[in-house]
Amino acid sequence: MPWKENNNGKEPWGEPDQKPSNNSKKKNYGFNIDNLLINFLSKIKKIFFNGGTGNKKSFISAILILLVIWLLSGFYKVNANEQGVILRFGEWIRTTPPGLHYHLPYPIEIAKTPKVTKVHKTEIGFRTFRESTRFLSEESLMLTGDENIVDINFSVFWIIKDAGKFLFNIRNPEKTTKSVSESVMREVIANTAIASVLAEGRKEIELKSIQEIQLVLDNYGSGVQITQLQLQKVDPPDQVIDSFRDVQRARADKEKIINEAKAYRNDIIPKARGEGAQIVQQSEAYKKEVIARSEGDINRFNSILSSYKNNESVTKNRIYLETLEVILQNANKVIIDTKQGSGVLPYLPLPEITKRKRKNKNESNNINKNEPSNINEENVQNVQ
Amino acid sequence: MFSKKIFIPIILFLLFILFSALFIVKQTEQALILQFGDPIRIIKKPGLKIKIPLIQNAIFYDTRVLDFDAEVEEVILSDQKRLLVDAFIRYKIIDPLKFYQAVINENGFKARVGGILSGSLRRVLGSDPLEVVLSKNRSGLMEKIQEEIDKEAVNFGVKMIDVRIKRADLPKANSEAIFARMRAEREKEARQFRAEGAEESQIIKSTAEKERTVIIAEANKKGQTIKGEGDGEAVKIYAKGFKKDEEFFAFYRSMEAYKKVFADSEDEPTFILSPDSDFFKYFNNKSGK
Repeated sequence: MPWKENNNGKEPWGEPDQKPSNNSKKKNYGFNIDNLLINFLSKIKKIFFNGGTGNKKSFISAILILLVIWLLSGFYKVNANEQGVILRFGEWIRTTPPGLHYHLPYPIEIAKTPKVTKVHKTEIGFRTFRESTRFLSEESLMLTGDENIVDINFSVFWIIKDAGKFLFNIRNPEKTTKSVSESVMREVIANTAIASVLAEGRKEIELKSIQEIQLVLDNYGSGVQITQLQLQKVDPPDQVIDSFRDVQRARADKEKIINEAKAYRNDIIPKARGEGAQIVQQSEAYKKEVIARSEGDINRFNSILSSYKNNESVTKNRIYLETLEVILQNANKVIIDTKQGSGVLPYLPLPEITKRKRKNKNESNNINKNEPSNINEENVQNVQ
Repeated sequence: MFSKKIFIPIILFLLFILFSALFIVKQTEQALILQFGDPIRIIKKPGLKIKIPLIQNAIFYDTRVLDFDAEVEEVILSDQKRLLVDAFIRYKIIDPLKFYQAVINENGFKARVGGILSGSLRRVLGSDPLEVVLSKNRSGLMEKIQEEIDKEAVNFGVKMIDVRIKRADLPKANSEAIFARMRAEREKEARQFRAEGAEESQIIKSTAEKERTVIIAEANKKGQTIKGEGDGEAVKIYAKGFKKDEEFFAFYRSMEAYKKVFADSEDEPTFILSPDSDFFKYFNNKSGK
């Protein structure tokens, strides 16, 4: 503010006297258009009527320079991201592409260069201020087609498609874009069931909304082009979100219990197949065994038979005696002569015999343990 | 010096006349020229225009699509449900003369159209239930409202570009009812999922168990068949082998059986023997007779 220091509180514009001039009214510092005009006119008069030819020339050249500057002021640049809109006395006469152009100087024509590639963002249901986000539930809560309520935040991205239309066809284009977007989104949601909104329907909602918003804005001749619509948050309202989460959990529970059942199936069926195979194999083994045993028995019998054929009666007697020998060796034996004892009833102390037998058995337990092979074999056969 | 004093006011006056005669109609405007308050001319084309100074003056109206947002309106639908409706209008002034005569300016228009919109919303929405409002018919309803308003707007020199319902929400009390219903529905759904899981799990488990039983049974069947084959084969082999000498087989097999029954058995058998038996042949008599 350099003038403040040396004008002693006077208005800076009221200082025409600083220029070299011999006008008698130069001491009048009042800010008065009449004074200025008189000053100016007297100068002109002086130049035209009193001044020499040199003064006249310099005045004309000054006028010419001003004229040239004025004419040159009509050049304007339209950047790559802009469109030039030319107004002649307020009338829109043309739109120019990027590059250097000329218009008739102010005030006849003026150029407006709105940025057409700038992507504008309209937020609905929330506002972001720098880092923080504020949610607006009265904007974001929407009724669905099946009379449920969803909480939706979305952003609409748009550019100026036609600068002229954008500037001249519509008042408040930003506000209109927002109102239309909100209205269309609500209309689309009102036609959709909540399950579809929350799940697979998102893409479709975005596409439908973009189309419809564009249609309405084109109908207004707004010059706005929607480039993108993003559904940011699509949730059930806070009041019911727990119930929705429980549904998710239930779905997971369902999967889990089914998987457990499948695991159980995968566990028992192979085991059963194994068990089945075991049964078959054991049967095969039994089959082989009985056949082998029968063959063995027969072979043994054949051998004995062939020997027996050589000397039938001796062999037969020998076998008979040996067998009885073995049998009677360890048995209790009571011999009753039938001829002598026929008249008397022979008395057999059966309980006593049994008792003695038990006693013997207990005593021989240890011995029996040393030779259990017969019993074991029998057991195995029984099992098979 | 006297002529100079006269000259300056005259020039100033002429300039004033010139500037009040010339005026600019902007691209976004149209003008109505009034002569002593009487509208005589409409200018629709933008640019530099001329009027008679002092006698005529110009009123400017917007040519753009203009916006009017209505107040939130509570509408009672035909099913007695209440709906808070927030609608907006987009319109254009197409006849400045009519507009001037009917409502003078935008504020006047807004005051009038607000009432018309409100009445139309009540009439049109009030004749339909909520399901219709929440459906594809919504745009049809909006068109109907637009038609109704358009009919009246013609008298204002205004053309309706669009009438849209921005928000149509239920009042707070109804929202609570909806939330309660949503919760109940979700609970139902969750329960159903869990029950379905249990169902499917039971099916899988019992099918698996059935399969297991079948596998074992089939194996047993096959096993018994094989065992039977073995037994049959053995019977054949025995029969064939022993057939060579049936008499000796009977003797020999009996001996084997005796041995097994008496000698190899755990119990100590007790024999009551007669000295007449063959075994004692030489016991009584060394000649064996």
